Amino acid sequence: MYWIALQPEPQPTGLQTDALVDPHTVLGWWALQYTPMVARVEDALVLEISGSERLFGGRKALLEHIYVSNKPVAQVSIARGATSLIALGRLWCGHTKTKPDDLPLQTLAAARAHAPTLQRLGCRTWGHVRALPRGGLVRRFGDGLLTALDRAYGQAPEVYPWMVLPEVFDAPLELLASVESAPAMVFGASRLLAQLRVWLQLRQRGVLALELLWELDARRSNAQHVDAHHTGGPAHIGRLVLRTAQPTQDMGHLQRLLTEQLARVNLPAPVLHLRLRSLQTQVLAGETQSLLPEDQRQGDSLHLLLERLSARLGADQVLAIRPMADHRPERMQQWAPALQSLVADGCKPQFRKHNAIKSVAIKAVDTWATGQNDAENPLQAGFYPSWLLNAPQRLVVQQGLPQYLGPLELLAGPQRIEAGWHEMEVHWALRDYFVARSAAAGLLWIYRERLAGAGGQDKAHWYLHGIFA
Amino acid sequence: MPSSPRRVSLGQGSSELHVDVWHAHTLATPVAQVVATGQALLDAQLPGGGWPVGALTELLQSNSVHAEWQLLAPALVRCGTAAIVLVGPPHMPFSPALAARGVASQRLVWVQTTVAAQRLWAAEQALRCAGVDAVLAWLPQARADQLRRLQMAAAEYNRLLFVMRPASAQYESSPAALRLRVEPMVAPATHTENRVDHLQVHLLKRRGPPLDQALELGACSPALARLLAAVQGHAMQSSADAAPPQPEPESIYVLDRVAA
Repeated sequence: MYWIALQPEPQPTGLQTDALVDPHTVLGWWALQYTPMVARVEDALVLEISGSERLFGGRKALLEHIYVSNKPVAQVSIARGATSLIALGRLWCGHTKTKPDDLPLQTLAAARAHAPTLQRLGCRTWGHVRALPRGGLVRRFGDGLLTALDRAYGQAPEVYPWMVLPEVFDAPLELLASVESAPAMVFGASRLLAQLRVWLQLRQRGVLALELLWELDARRSNAQHVDAHHTGGPAHIGRLVLRTAQPTQDMGHLQRLLTEQLARVNLPAPVLHLRLRSLQTQVLAGETQSLLPEDQRQGDSLHLLLERLSARLGADQVLAIRPMADHRPERMQQWAPALQSLVADGCKPQFRKHNAIKSVAIKAVDTWATGQNDAENPLQAGFYPSWLLNAPQRLVVQQGLPQYLGPLELLAGPQRIEAGWHEMEVHWALRDYFVARSAAAGLLWIYRERLAGAGGQDKAHWYLHGIFA
Repeated sequence: MPSSPRRVSLGQGSSELHVDVWHAHTLATPVAQVVATGQALLDAQLPGGGWPVGALTELLQSNSVHAEWQLLAPALVRCGTAAIVLVGPPHMPFSPALAARGVASQRLVWVQTTVAAQRLWAAEQALRCAGVDAVLAWLPQARADQLRRLQMAAAEYNRLLFVMRPASAQYESSPAALRLRVEPMVAPATHTENRVDHLQVHLLKRRGPPLDQALELGACSPALARLLAAVQGHAMQSSADAAPPQPEPESIYVLDRVAA
């Protein structure tokens, strides 16, 4: 058996960005990568490493690994020993080479309760107590002290409640000072994110969704006001859910997203407590990297870009396309938030039918009408304009000719489109499309609305719908 | 100890020896790669024979003119398969037409913002992304220093960057490596040919000698150009009504069917 005792050094009172929220827990998580036998004793941690020596190539290599190549996540003081109590004794007395018999009695937790009596007996070190007769020791001080001594000298097994890594990350944080504005919460949240990263690394998972909860100072909050801001949930709890398209361990990216999201949050009352919880995680596969450095492109991946753009500009401002099956040009495509299709389809936006049943129905109509879909027909699609106006623009008609920056000359047409009868009359398209030439704007795609009534053709409205570019 | 200098005759070998030196009367040979424009006439006048990758290309056109896709679509098809980010386009890109030109609709990302600062930010972020091949930004109000920043980002990450600006920006200074002004033009009808739509491209700035005359390129996709030619040919034929109806090629028959 070979034990290491760790104790995080007290952190300076000044604010530190990389300071850990709960150093004991995080240190325990960090230590779990070397051995499953990690336990917390008072304010220190003990870990037994003899079981994993072989895996790391010997005790020396393992110790070097722990001390040098993979340093603890916080400032710690370290001591070693053949049993956990020796290691702890050396840690607490501050001399790492002291012999067990010479360790002061205060470093044995079980002896502290009897310290005055033992002091009067003249016992100052472990060796002094051990020299006392065992029977008398049990009668005088009870079973505990002797058992502890046996464990300290390796004569009884040492069993602790071993630390395990939680299935779900859930860490609270009490802020040093109450925070008045939402963006200022980023600072506290970044400390929680640092802890989350340790947890993710150990679990070898990437986070897909996490939530940040904050508790409002109830004394200074107006209950109605709070309710209006944070519906669903207790009135004094605020909640923000962060989602990423791909599992990530990149806390820098999460922090940027969080900053953008928090910039829009309005706090009705100061915040004292924060809490970060992982909602969804996924096993993170290692990244395959090319052998040749020039094969790797510089920069971050597309989903990170889309998330960043959506976080700042709003999800409905960053759009990706969804082809639709319809004859009406404005219904042939749908621009939908890129993040939605990204989350739905995995890593990249892909061809996806918006509504399976509807598209099947329209497809059936298509097949009946023309035999194939316009959008998939390259011949037909070659005659479509590359730009489509968001809404058709009504054109003035002079002397029977539509005008757009001057008179238009009709070059080709009409191409008749008649679709949408099954929807409301609003979307019923009865149109004759023409290719028109404008001296100022080049080739345009205009249509004349066909009216149902007789004699309406002359009074029909003209619309500009597309621009050939 | 100084070695004796090598004698170099400035005769016929000078052009090979001084490849790094750019003579002002020739087109520069760019170190960076280029993507062919798909128009041989334009390629011949551009340094390296195409749109420069990793440099800012500025397209100037008046507000009513939108010739972007005609000029850029062939290059966008060639530049790769990753995303094309459109920052603030004036209208909605129509994916069936673009797909017919080979630009897959899945590649398009439309960033829809009207705020000038947000457009600049989005364009720069897009340039920094590995999953992006080309960035098309419509920046009517950009200043030279803002464009320079984009130019630097494009150079650092080696992306295609096209910035569309109004024709009035022609007289402002710009850090762009290549500046073009585009305007539509209709060639007058002759007795043999119909009126044909052209795009007149003025090369305002390039790494090479200034070009006085404008280039005339096709104004629309080849399919539409064929359609227009067929329709007009048909009209002329029916008005003249001289020659007996010739057996038309199949493609024109199909075009006519669509046109009618």
